[in-house]
Amino acid sequence: MEYIELQNTLPEAFKQQNIMQSDIWHQVFRFQKNKIYLIKAVSGAGKSSLCSYLYGERKDYQGIITFDNSNISSLNAKDWTTIRRNNISQIFQDLRLFPELTALENIQIKNNLTRRRKRKEIVNWFERLGLAEHIKRPVGKLSFGQQQRVAFIRSLCQPFDFILLDEPVSHLDKNNANEMSNILLEEFEKNSFGVIVTSIGRDLELPYDYIMNL
Amino acid sequence: MVGFILANIIGVTIILLSIQFYRDIKPIFSNNDSFMSQNYIVATKKVSTLGSISNKSNLFTKSEIQELQNQEFCNHLGVFTPSLFKVYAGLSIESKGIRFGTDLFFESVPNEFIDVSLENWSFNSLDNNKIIPIILPRNYLNLYNFGFAESRNLPKLSEGMVGMVQLDVHLTGNGRKEVLKGNVIGFSNRINTILVPQQFMDWANETFSAEKQKNPSRIIIEVDQPANPAITEYFQSKGYEAESGALDDSKTTYFLKVLIGLVLFIGLLISLLSLYILLLSIFLLIQKSTDKIRNLQLLGYTSRQIALPYQLLMIITNSISFVISIVVMYCLRAYYIQEVRPLIPSLSSDFPTSIIILASTLLILVVVVNGILIKRQIIKTE
Repeated sequence: MEYIELQNTLPEAFKQQNIMQSDIWHQVFRFQKNKIYLIKAVSGAGKSSLCSYLYGERKDYQGIITFDNSNISSLNAKDWTTIRRNNISQIFQDLRLFPELTALENIQIKNNLTRRRKRKEIVNWFERLGLAEHIKRPVGKLSFGQQQRVAFIRSLCQPFDFILLDEPVSHLDKNNANEMSNILLEEFEKNSFGVIVTSIGRDLELPYDYIMNL
Repeated sequence: MVGFILANIIGVTIILLSIQFYRDIKPIFSNNDSFMSQNYIVATKKVSTLGSISNKSNLFTKSEIQELQNQEFCNHLGVFTPSLFKVYAGLSIESKGIRFGTDLFFESVPNEFIDVSLENWSFNSLDNNKIIPIILPRNYLNLYNFGFAESRNLPKLSEGMVGMVQLDVHLTGNGRKEVLKGNVIGFSNRINTILVPQQFMDWANETFSAEKQKNPSRIIIEVDQPANPAITEYFQSKGYEAESGALDDSKTTYFLKVLIGLVLFIGLLISLLSLYILLLSIFLLIQKSTDKIRNLQLLGYTSRQIALPYQLLMIITNSISFVISIVVMYCLRAYYIQEVRPLIPSLSSDFPTSIIILASTLLILVVVVNGILIKRQIIKTE
């Protein structure tokens, strides 16, 4: 997958609001691979909606969204499964971790599916993000900031062309946020993919190619 | 889950047991030589005092037979052919100087109405050594054994002994006379007359009688349901009589069939309900984990992968209950087989393999249907 294109896309819920100042909604915009995007917005502007549309989770928009040249409205459940395994990774705003499973099990549930990372690699990330002693703890017992880091590690446990990070550092301190940026950039050097980050205030520090207002 | 397994075991056991029981006692229904005969009624016209005086005919006319045959309750109809010649049967045991004989009559009915093995039931008029096979009503033998022989100090006769005795049968009529050998080949519970094969009757009536075929005085009909009130009504309106006994047997048969059908139905109902409970509890489980299933789908798990554990749970619980049901069914069968054995000596107490095939088919059907339903429920969360 080389690009994601939005053509006059608008959430159904925004149809009535005529005056919309947005770089993305109701525009033609293309997210390219190997570029890093930051989407800034106030709460309720549709960040998570955008992520849901791109991940096939919701379809309540008007306009057209295409992956390369194919309209995503024509994709079926099987296609989305393939895309979620191989082409698009996401950190959900609400993380979608399994609270009764340990941090490591939460990672394995994804990694067992893709066989993408070695255990050593995963443990190394845990250590760098200050989670070493929490590997075997149920995720439900961790703070939201710690859970965000677990979700971040999980998002790297698959091949992808684009990664969607929906407010990934909302509950992180500066050090951990920086470490997250470092890890992401290391991966960005090694593999080619596009990065789409959303933010309502605290930004993940990255060398952004585009900064847009939603 | 335990509740389901228990309910399912009960339901499946009842299904398997009632099917197996039906198969075990089926010989009673299908075997001709059994107390629970198929549903036959022998019809005659009432012999009334007035009729005797006025010499009113007790014979069935062709149109009456045709009408009876056209009745809805009548599956099959056969007429009794009476002999139109004189019959004298004698028995002599030279060594003991015993000699006795009596005047007789013969009747014949089509073979399919006879409740005795038809192995020796044939007659060929071209044979040099002509032997007439004869079937007697069983109560004739009983009359002799327990009435006549007892009071006169004569030996009692078993069915086998009677079969070994050869009778001299003198046939007279139409200016001709012939002596043939007669042999009792069996005893009938159903038909209260001295029966000979239809082939013999046709040949003898032609040979020893100048008369044309006489109308029959007795008719045997096969019905589905002897308790059918239409039969009683029809018989009453026409002044026919049904020979008793047969009707009672038939009622028993019918009642048993209804009973087994009822038990089978209850078993099916319990099983269906228990399967429904299992399915509901699995659906509840799925409902409870909707969020988790959704998360797994968003992580890239296919609905098939997600459904698999639920399907395995369903398959394992169903298999357990089916296996237990088969074992329980076998134990119960061993118990009732002792009770039924005197009625059906041929009953085998071997493990009925066919019931396992049936149970497996049932299990596969249940598993496939439930598997599909579970998968659908998972896809719904997509």
